[in-house]
Amino acid sequence: MKIVITGGKHEADYIVSKLKKEHHQLIIINQDIDFAEYISANNDIGVFPGDPTKAYVLSDAEAHNADVLLALSDSDTDNYITCITAKKLFNIKRTVAKVKNPKNVELFKRLGVDSVISSTYLLAQTILNESSVENIIKTLSIEDEKIVMIEIGVEPEHNIVNKRLMDIKFPSNINISCIFRDPHVIIPKGDTLIKADDKLIIVTTPNDQEEIVEFVQKRK
Amino acid sequence: MKRNKFIVIGSGRLGSNIATSMSELGEDVIIIDAVDDSFRKLQESFSGYQVVGDATDLTILENSYIKQAKTVVITTDSDNVNIYLAHICFYVYNVPKIFVRLSDTDKGKLLEGTMIKAIYPFNLSYSEFMDLNDEEAAE
Repeated sequence: MKIVITGGKHEADYIVSKLKKEHHQLIIINQDIDFAEYISANNDIGVFPGDPTKAYVLSDAEAHNADVLLALSDSDTDNYITCITAKKLFNIKRTVAKVKNPKNVELFKRLGVDSVISSTYLLAQTILNESSVENIIKTLSIEDEKIVMIEIGVEPEHNIVNKRLMDIKFPSNINISCIFRDPHVIIPKGDTLIKADDKLIIVTTPNDQEEIVEFVQKRK
Repeated sequence: MKRNKFIVIGSGRLGSNIATSMSELGEDVIIIDAVDDSFRKLQESFSGYQVVGDATDLTILENSYIKQAKTVVITTDSDNVNIYLAHICFYVYNVPKIFVRLSDTDKGKLLEGTMIKAIYPFNLSYSEFMDLNDEEAAE
């Protein structure tokens, strides 16, 4: 693929080093002369010094008809102008803008930028995903870490919902010792059905803990 | 929603003078600038609203009645910011009349396919020189 990378510092350097291994045709444009030289020396590749929001810079770098353009500068507005210039004047198929302000993610997409990346936005998403870990409320270590007791919340989209325990192929070293199904506590048998919003109390070994959490939380 | 607001973004020499004149003509003028200090260029006769803030933040634009704008004049000192704001006014808020000042005549290509009108000080100065030069020659 023909890939244009404009602006940015360490993120540009990192992406260049990753993409260079994949043998893409890379066109790198950077306004910061010192950094342009650094990227050039570090990756043994040519870098165009210049402002990518100016059409003649993209033209000199022969960015026409590239498959992808990544705009990584610290200015959201400049990244927008770079992407729109690339699309309108250089027939570049996909444009990707980095933004500092997470509110610009939706706005830039609406104005015609194909992908918009905001670290804050991604961070928020990650935190939202991580918070599902809160469903694993307690890990209780017993007997010098030889066994652990974990509590896992079952969500409606989990694979094990509405199955009988005997029909689920659990990993080895697992014992579901009881199920909290508000307001009841159930001591499970083979024909006990797992339901959404159950809390499973599982006794296992520290080594198998991760595998079990992953297994229980597997989605349909 | 009635569109009756005249919005100026960028209170430099051009923006503040346009805002003052339109205010004198009885328009409902709102002028936005990121720097509080910029409004000193407004004349005594200016009777509109001043908003301090970064117009690239949609919250600031919406608080400045952008949804009720019939005209927006964009005169910040950055061409990139001016084009970005013009695109937001055109594509997001469907403002009927948009004027944007651009230093770089090449940037006008980004306005193709829109109803946004560009003002180029370079072109105006250049043609003024040519006219003055012709007058000299004719004398």
